[in-house]
Amino acid sequence: MLNYQSSIKEEKTYSGLIVKEVVPVMKLNLRGKNREFLSTIGKNINMTLPLEANTSSSSDNYTSMWLSPDEWMIISNYTADKENNNYQIEKLLFSKISKTNLGAVTDVSDQFVMINLKGEKIFDLLSTGCPFNFNEFKKKNGAVTQTLLLQIDVIIHLKEINTVNLFVRRSFSEHLMSWIDDAASRL
Amino acid sequence: MFIINCPFCGERDQSEFKAGGEAHIERPKQPTELNDEEWAEYLFMRKNIKGIQFERWNHAHGCRKWFNMLRDTSNDEIKLIYKMGEKSPIE
Ligand SMILES: [Zn+2]
Repeated sequence: MLNYQSSIKEEKTYSGLIVKEVVPVMKLNLRGKNREFLSTIGKNINMTLPLEANTSSSSDNYTSMWLSPDEWMIISNYTADKENNNYQIEKLLFSKISKTNLGAVTDVSDQFVMINLKGEKIFDLLSTGCPFNFNEFKKKNGAVTQTLLLQIDVIIHLKEINTVNLFVRRSFSEHLMSWIDDAASRL
Repeated sequence: MFIINCPFCGERDQSEFKAGGEAHIERPKQPTELNDEEWAEYLFMRKNIKGIQFERWNHAHGCRKWFNMLRDTSNDEIKLIYKMGEKSPIE
């Protein structure tokens, strides 16, 4: 983990909603499309990448999210060691995927801020700033979408019903959080 | 505002997309053999018709993939969406 000041200082509680940053979490971006790429990933992290659009798959330690037909993001289910910026799995995948030109593995742990939202008012909040239709999404465990929230690119993952992980680029996180704080206080 | 059916992600709001201009414009095989006028024709000239037009679109805030669209520019009615690299099904 890089040594930075977190832009989201504390856990916030609103009516029907709890918001907090989850940190540090390993995040890897994977790109590739051929069969060998998929099978190499599967063998090395012990889970298959989701091929169906807007879905995710999980193992004990990792969750992988579909971003595009040739792009995924893998995150660790648990927080990592704060002092350490080396992830075993990144090293492993880098040597098996990037070095062999099967695809690309990029560490985006510090690029994205992960914000955890919990409560029955999540989608009331998101709907006020998103063009995305959440009617089906909010019922589907593991659903993933990339969309705009407040004109900011975000990745939204429905971890389980009424629990969402939201990923936003670090430079936008403070601005987004101040909007969440304002909008959620009026839910 | 209208809904676009991304061939990869499904139905999404138009604000997630970027328009990429006219589709199926082929780069001349031998640009060096063209005169300035012919090169300018390829580079700058677009039909920009009022009516049904072939266009390229990009799902910029979603899967970031390009695709083709057949759209009526007079009323934004989308006639057809098909993937990049596929030949235009009409004409
Ligand atoms: Zn898409």
